Amino acid sequence: MGSALETGTPSFVDRFPQEASVVKAALTSSFIALFLGAVFGLIQGLHRTDVFRFLDSQYYYTVLTAHGVLMVVSFTIFFLVGIFTWAVVRSLDRPVEDIRYTWAWYGLMVVGTLMAVVAILGGFVPSTELSADVLYTFYAPLQAHPLFYGGLAIFIIGTWLAGADWFRSWYAWKQEHPDERIPLQTFMVLTTMLMWYIATIGIAIAVVGFLLPWSLGLIESVNPLLTRTLFWFWGHPVVYFWLMPAYLLWYTVLPSISGGRLFSDPLARVVFVLFLLLSTPVGIHHQYVDPGIAEGFKLIAMTNTMFLLLPSLLTAFTVVASMEHGARQRGGSGLFGWLRALPWRNPAFTGMALAGLMFAAGGFSGMINAGMNINYLIHNTLWVPGHFHLTVGTAVALTFMAASYWLWPQLTNKPLFSRPIALTQTVVWFVGMALMSNAMHVMGLFGVPRRTAEPQYEGFEFVASFGSITELRMQLALGATLLFISTVLFVSNIALSTGSPTRTGLGQPLSKPLSPAADSPEVLDNLKLWFGIAMVLVVLAYMLPLASIVGDSGVIDRGVSAAPVMIDLLTGLNPVTAVTEAVSRLSVAIVGVVP
Amino acid sequence: MQDGRDMEEEQTVRELSHDEFDPNGTLALIAVYFVILLAMWVFMYFVEFLGNELTVVG
Amino acid sequence: MNIHSYEKIWLVVAILLIVGFISTVTYGATAVGIDMVDDEGGTVNASALDEDPRFSEPRVEQVGDNEYEAYVIAQQYIFNPDPIRVPANSTVTFFITSPDVIHGFEIVGTNANTMVIPGQVAKITVNFNDPGEYGIVCHEYCGSGHHTMEGSVVVQPEDEFEPGGDE
Ligand code: HEM
Ligand SMILES: [Cu+2]
Ligand SMILES: [Cu+2]
Repeated sequence: MGSALETGTPSFVDRFPQEASVVKAALTSSFIALFLGAVFGLIQGLHRTDVFRFLDSQYYYTVLTAHGVLMVVSFTIFFLVGIFTWAVVRSLDRPVEDIRYTWAWYGLMVVGTLMAVVAILGGFVPSTELSADVLYTFYAPLQAHPLFYGGLAIFIIGTWLAGADWFRSWYAWKQEHPDERIPLQTFMVLTTMLMWYIATIGIAIAVVGFLLPWSLGLIESVNPLLTRTLFWFWGHPVVYFWLMPAYLLWYTVLPSISGGRLFSDPLARVVFVLFLLLSTPVGIHHQYVDPGIAEGFKLIAMTNTMFLLLPSLLTAFTVVASMEHGARQRGGSGLFGWLRALPWRNPAFTGMALAGLMFAAGGFSGMINAGMNINYLIHNTLWVPGHFHLTVGTAVALTFMAASYWLWPQLTNKPLFSRPIALTQTVVWFVGMALMSNAMHVMGLFGVPRRTAEPQYEGFEFVASFGSITELRMQLALGATLLFISTVLFVSNIALSTGSPTRTGLGQPLSKPLSPAADSPEVLDNLKLWFGIAMVLVVLAYMLPLASIVGDSGVIDRGVSAAPVMIDLLTGLNPVTAVTEAVSRLSVAIVGVVP
Repeated sequence: MQDGRDMEEEQTVRELSHDEFDPNGTLALIAVYFVILLAMWVFMYFVEFLGNELTVVG
Repeated sequence: MNIHSYEKIWLVVAILLIVGFISTVTYGATAVGIDMVDDEGGTVNASALDEDPRFSEPRVEQVGDNEYEAYVIAQQYIFNPDPIRVPANSTVTFFITSPDVIHGFEIVGTNANTMVIPGQVAKITVNFNDPGEYGIVCHEYCGSGHHTMEGSVVVQPEDEFEPGGDE
């Protein structure tokens, strides 16, 4: 073993030390966001189930805004830029063109995040004007402090510049390799970024064109349906922006970890092209029950959405087949027996496999969400967070954590602090999410709303057709607690790894696909073509709905006035009393339990 | 173990090329998934949704 | 392109599944007659609801034999009228709007569920059969008192019902 250490594969940091620093910084930002997000998530899980409430309920929405933004903007996207930088540098096998530029976009993203987070946390301090209790969807005319919108804008600009960095690397590479196919990982990064450029048009117009000037008092009102529609123009493709790094890992890393090879490179390319084409012209499916949008537009959005299932269904096949290939190479046999031959003791494998399994379940609840009229049943109920904690909250989040167990040592030349803890962590996440998400789905079916601090009402009670609401609440709270514990295990395992002794040879090579890129038509690599078609589809899907919204109620609806989200000083608990009260309630609870 | 890779990860007992490999297990798993999807969809749409009160008819 | 035959099978099956989903939804829309909220309700000046013929007086109004129209305002943090009284065995069209921020309107435990957006009027028609009582919740975050925003629909026996906006 000793000699293996000396002769082992050089790691990413050995080969590209400067890039490894950026990737490490991005992942670190991502993990900080994950940890803070998990703290808020736990508070929500305990508060809305009435298991433990230590904040006045009006602060619930500050917490929820922080949770939403930290998780789905900071955690996911910082991880994405880290992994994409790694993937481009690794697959092109060349350093970035200018490392100062790379640090610059990372810096912008950090500044943007800090601005938004400061504005959000200001909501806990009633004596400041700072507040952004508008949730991560920031529907106007609820109005946040300009710092919040400004931060978002800067963050998005950072991601644009990051994309430019990767395109620049590819361009430079292409000059030296004119006749080669784009390496798969770079192909995935570039198609995802093209999708992102299209998608962010919506949010850029909403934030920079309307919400920021409006919060600064430069324009008097906005059209809430218009800004909402622009939000969802971005709000659906962002889902795929979270998901694509996970897909990249499933396609290019998971097969190697399973001991096999990717089943088909061409199909992977087809899948990413389909995502580029179909991710954006679907956003109206979040507005199935919005007034002011004709049913025909909703029907078009549904058709596109349903076809967007296709690349994910294809992915399920290819990825599982690659795992099966690994299992069979490792001696697995039988129709299902090969599953036992998979490396279940490897946390990177188990985490990704469990993430994929939950994605299969989340895929199903997503199909329900996508069905235009069945949406009446679950729209804005707890079913919906039940759904996306399986998708972004597990398929993406758990894959990221699992991949970190694999990648982090290659970025630092330090082995992971503890693999058994890592393995436990992935399983605890799976169990916690199974409980929390199941409870959320079921409560949603009984009509319990999402985004509500105290979903207990005076005039009526929710009727459970099986189980009881109390039971479901406990299940949700228990799940949330396990998830929090799992997050702590993950973050501390990574943090403790910095203390591991430095080693060499930690590099993990990736296997080649069984069916290589050469098997696929060259046209797949014609990014201009796919970008053009994607733009046409978006224009077709959005031109008429936007025109009719503007036609009906204007670019700006003067009848609508801003509703700034300031905490009422009289009813608002200040944080000091809130914390004292929390401590006293906690001690009462402890005294109650200890005999 | 300490160097971040398990011994079990090294145990390739045979190499399988694309032509030698038919993902039978994958096909079986995905067939099971398909059946679950179909059954759940029918249940959710026809029992939970259409069987629920207050249909929006206009 | 080198695609395994199993992949081709799955591709076809997956497309069939998608077509099946779309067909089910179409069946619901046509054969069952489920209609989506859309732009039929029109628009309204959110800051002048008191001058609007439809919303100056939130109420339930008889418009046909067993047909009623309910004009409802959802605002921080109440529904008006509350309760909304309708007779059993009736068809009720709700027109719902908001003078302030975006709200939700969900008759709890049922499929009657819509967004309420200032400047827009949501219109949904439902049939009520038996007498009884339903809760209404606002299911979209609308400010710090969002969790207190509730209302109710009281379906009265036909002989006890009188239209109008009592409260
Ligand atoms: C420690 C683990 C987590 C716990 C305990 C947790 C808990 C919760 C709960 C209880 C809610 C529902 C709040 C409500 O609607 O009233 C929620 C919402 C949400 N969660 Fe999580 N969550 C966790 C992890 C994640 C992760 C990893 C993500 C995404 C990467 C995520 C994204 C979201 C989003 C986007 C919302 C919706 C926010 C909104 O409605 O504005 N959560 N979470
Ligand atoms: Cu979506
Ligand atoms: Cu509300």
